[in-house]
Amino acid sequence: MKVVVTGVGVTLPRASSAQSLLTAVARTAEPVNPETRVGKKGLRYKDRATQLGYCAADAALRDAGLLSETGLAVADNSVGVVASSNLGNVDTVTGALDTIAAETTMGTSPMQLPNASSNVIATSVAIRFGLRGPNLMVCNGATSGLDAVYWAANMISAGRVTRVLVLGVEPDNEPVRKLLGGRRAIDGAVGLVLEDADAAAERGARVHAEVGRYTRAGGVRKCVDQLSDMDGGVPALLQLPETGGAVVPPEILDGVPRYDLAKAWGVASGALGVMQCAATIGWFEGRGAGPVYVLAGSDDDDATAGLVLQRAEVR
Amino acid sequence: MSWYITGSGAVASVGRGVEQLFTNLCLGQTGLAPLRGFDPEPYRARSAYEIDDRPEPGRDVPGRATSVLVEAITEAARGAGIEDLTDVPILVGTGLRELRSLELWWRDGVDFSADRLHFGTALRERLGAEITYTFSNACSASLYALAMGSDLLALDAADTVIVAGVDVLTESMHGLLERVHATPPDRVRPFDRNRTGVLMGDGAAAIVLRRHPGPRTQGLLRSVSVNCDAYHVTAPDPAGIANAMRASHELAGVKPEDIDLVLLHGTGTLLNDEAEATAMAEVFGEHSGGPLMTAIKSMTGHTSGASGLMNLVVGLESLGSGVVPPVVGLSDPVDEAADFRFVLGEAATADVSVAQLNAFGFGGINAVAIVEAVR
Repeated sequence: MKVVVTGVGVTLPRASSAQSLLTAVARTAEPVNPETRVGKKGLRYKDRATQLGYCAADAALRDAGLLSETGLAVADNSVGVVASSNLGNVDTVTGALDTIAAETTMGTSPMQLPNASSNVIATSVAIRFGLRGPNLMVCNGATSGLDAVYWAANMISAGRVTRVLVLGVEPDNEPVRKLLGGRRAIDGAVGLVLEDADAAAERGARVHAEVGRYTRAGGVRKCVDQLSDMDGGVPALLQLPETGGAVVPPEILDGVPRYDLAKAWGVASGALGVMQCAATIGWFEGRGAGPVYVLAGSDDDDATAGLVLQRAEVR
Repeated sequence: MSWYITGSGAVASVGRGVEQLFTNLCLGQTGLAPLRGFDPEPYRARSAYEIDDRPEPGRDVPGRATSVLVEAITEAARGAGIEDLTDVPILVGTGLRELRSLELWWRDGVDFSADRLHFGTALRERLGAEITYTFSNACSASLYALAMGSDLLALDAADTVIVAGVDVLTESMHGLLERVHATPPDRVRPFDRNRTGVLMGDGAAAIVLRRHPGPRTQGLLRSVSVNCDAYHVTAPDPAGIANAMRASHELAGVKPEDIDLVLLHGTGTLLNDEAEATAMAEVFGEHSGGPLMTAIKSMTGHTSGASGLMNLVVGLESLGSGVVPPVVGLSDPVDEAADFRFVLGEAATADVSVAQLNAFGFGGINAVAIVEAVR
C-alpha cells in the first residue's frame, strides 16, 4: 500500500510554510501567538505545547482539504493522530511539583490534571477537531518525530485508519531551557497529513510527497547503509540529524547535498523529524527532485532513524 | 490474525516475576502501603501500591521506571529464549516515562538529562537494543504498543517483537489525581458502590510476540483494537469504549458469548467504572453475565501505562492454569455491573479459553485486546 503526504502545516516563529523552513534566516522573531492563528476559543488551560499543536493541526488539515468552515470533510473515525514531543509537558510536571511543595495539593488546579499526562497534545487535538481514529503519542528522544511519521504510515498500511495527522511539537519555557542546558527549543509545531494514496486520489487531494522506506539502527552509518539497501538508490538530498556538535562523516553518502535544519532553527528534539519532512516538501515545491533521505538521531543518541521521501508522481 | 506469545515478564508491588505476581494475586494479596518514596505531608491520599525497591525507606532514587522495565523485558526475553536484542523491536507503553527522575532533578538536583526521559537510551546501554520506541499513551499505552507491535508482524516488518509497559509514581500525577477526588482514596475498589477513587501503583510488564510458535507458547494474540473518543480530556465516553470492544471482537472473529474471561480496566474511579460497565453491558447484551470478570488494580493499584499489559500477562496465566484472581474490596457492585460475574472473595477455578483485556486512558484513548489459550 502506498502512503502519501497530502497536508503540511508549519507553525514557527519565523516560518508558516514548508518552503520557508528552507529559506527563513532572521535570527529573532516574535513567539507564535496561537490566538492570532486559531482564535482564542479553547486555548484556556491548555499548555503551550498543546496550543502550538492546535495551530499546526489546523494548518495541516486545511492544507489537506480535510477541514473547512463547516467542519471535517471526511468520516471522523477515518482520521488518526500521531504526535511527537519530548519536552511537551515538562512545564506542567515541574510546576505541579513546586505548587504542591509550597501549598499542598489543594494549591494545584484540577484543570492541570490532563496536562500532567504526556499524551495531552495528541488527545486534545483529537477532541478539538473531532478525530476518532487511533491516537498515539510518541516520546522517543532524538528520533521521535521521524518515528511518528513511520507509525502513522504503519497504521495506514495495516488498515487501521485511512489518514493520520502527524504533529511534531516542542515548546520553549523556563524548565525546558534548564533541561537543555540554557538552549532554546523551537517553540513551534509542524503538522503533516499522511494518507492512503488511493483514498487521496479518490477525493482528488493534492499529493506533496510519497512516504518510502524507514529504518532505525544504532548509529548514522548503520542506518544509512540499511536505508540504501532497502531503497536501492542514491538520494538527491540528505537531511542531517540534530547533533551535539558531532559531524556526520563526509564519506557517508559522499557528494550528496546536505541540509541541517536544526542548525537554523534551534533545538527541535521530538519535532525534528516532522519538520524535516515538511522542509523536504518545501524542497520538492522548489523543484527539488529525486529521493530525500531524512535522518534523525546522531551517534550521540540511542539510535538513528532514517526515512525516504519521494517527490509525488504526476498523475 | 494470530500471533504467538512466547514469553512474559512482570514486576509489581504484589510480586516480582510473573509466577510470584500471579500466585499472590490469586491469594488476594494487595501491594497497598503508606507512601514509600516521598514526603506524605502535602498530600491527603497517603497510600499507594509501590514496588518496595528503594535503597532506604523514604528516600527516592532516579531511574526506577527504567530498572523495573529492564527487569520485565529480561524475564520475557529469557522465557522466549532470546539472547540478542540488538535487532528485536522493543515497544514500550508508558504514561509517565521517566518523569519521576525529572522531578528529582528539578527539586533535588539529581543528575538527569533530556535523553533519559524516554527509555531508548537505557535500553541501548543495558540490553544493546537499537530498535526501541517509547509511546506515552496514558493508561492504555501498553495495549496501544501491543497494537503497533502486532502491526509490525502483519506488515512483515519483523518476526519477533517485544512489547512492554511501565510506570512508577510521580508526585505531580499522584498529587493532581488526588486533587480531583472529593474524598482522598484509601484503596482501589473497582466497581464497588462505595469506591472513592484511584491510587497509583508501580509496575512493569512485557511479552514476546512472534510470528512462529516458540519453545513455550503461552497464548495467541487474536486482536487489538485502538481508537479515540475525541470527547473529553479526562472523562471517558461509553460509546467510544463500546466501539473499541466491538472492533476487537470483529478483528478476532469472536462474539461476546465466546469470551470466557474479561480483565477489566477497573480503576475504581467514579467515572471509569460506570462508563466501562455501561459499555460492557451494551456490547455483551444478554451475555453480560457470561464471562468471569476480574479487576487486578484492586491489588496492584493503577499501574497506568503498564496496566493493559499487566492484564495481558495475568490473563495468559489464567488461560494456562484455569485460575482467576479475585476483585479485592468489591462487595456491593454498581447498578451498571449488577449482572456481571465478578470473581469475589477468593480466586475462581474455571476452564477459560478466550480472554478480553481492557485499557482506557486520559483523552479517551481506548484499547481492547483478545487473547486465546493454546491447548
